[in-house]
Amino acid sequence: MRTIDELRRSGVSIGPDRSIRDGATVMEQSGVGSLAIIDGHELVGIVTDRDLVRRGLATGLPTDTTIDRVMSSPVIAIDADTDLDVAFGLFRTHMVRRLAVMRDGQFIGMITVDDLIVGLAADLRDLTWPIKGEVLFPQHDRPVSSG
Amino acid sequence: MQASVGDRVIIHGHRSGEPDRDAEVLEVRGASGAPPYVVRWGDSGHESLFFPGSDASVQHFEHTTT
Repeated sequence: MRTIDELRRSGVSIGPDRSIRDGATVMEQSGVGSLAIIDGHELVGIVTDRDLVRRGLATGLPTDTTIDRVMSSPVIAIDADTDLDVAFGLFRTHMVRRLAVMRDGQFIGMITVDDLIVGLAADLRDLTWPIKGEVLFPQHDRPVSSG
Repeated sequence: MQASVGDRVIIHGHRSGEPDRDAEVLEVRGASGAPPYVVRWGDSGHESLFFPGSDASVQHFEHTTT
């Protein structure tokens, strides 16, 4: 399975010169938890709602501060056609919850740990059905004949 | 996905009760109506670049020329 196959959410980006306030408003209006920061055509950073709180609000930065002051950079990214196993490894190695998904060097969206867990939960539910069936309706083997 | 200037993109909620989000397409950056799109969000007037995923759809509007 490719990474792109698990890309469920739309991606939203703004430029690095936009304000923290603009970033928060765009997050709220678009319903996303993170923004890709793109300068021209280059992905230069990522800002999450947590970044806005911890690096912006908690440190007392004015809301008109440019968003590149609170972004994380460089961004951990993965190519859209890369096997999903590689994404798992990146999450584990870099201890991040989001990966930027790229195609031909361009940002196309974000894949999150939450998205993968939802997918895995659905797969596990499918696998538990035969086990649940066996527990609820056990099939008793015919006793071995003695003669 | 293909869109034109003036169309509306909608991001459907991911959780029960979560409202849809919508934005107006201001500019199409991809070839032949392909994303990404420069969009203006709801009533806020804030613009951003939008990369539609499987949670998004487009409402097309007739674009008349005079």
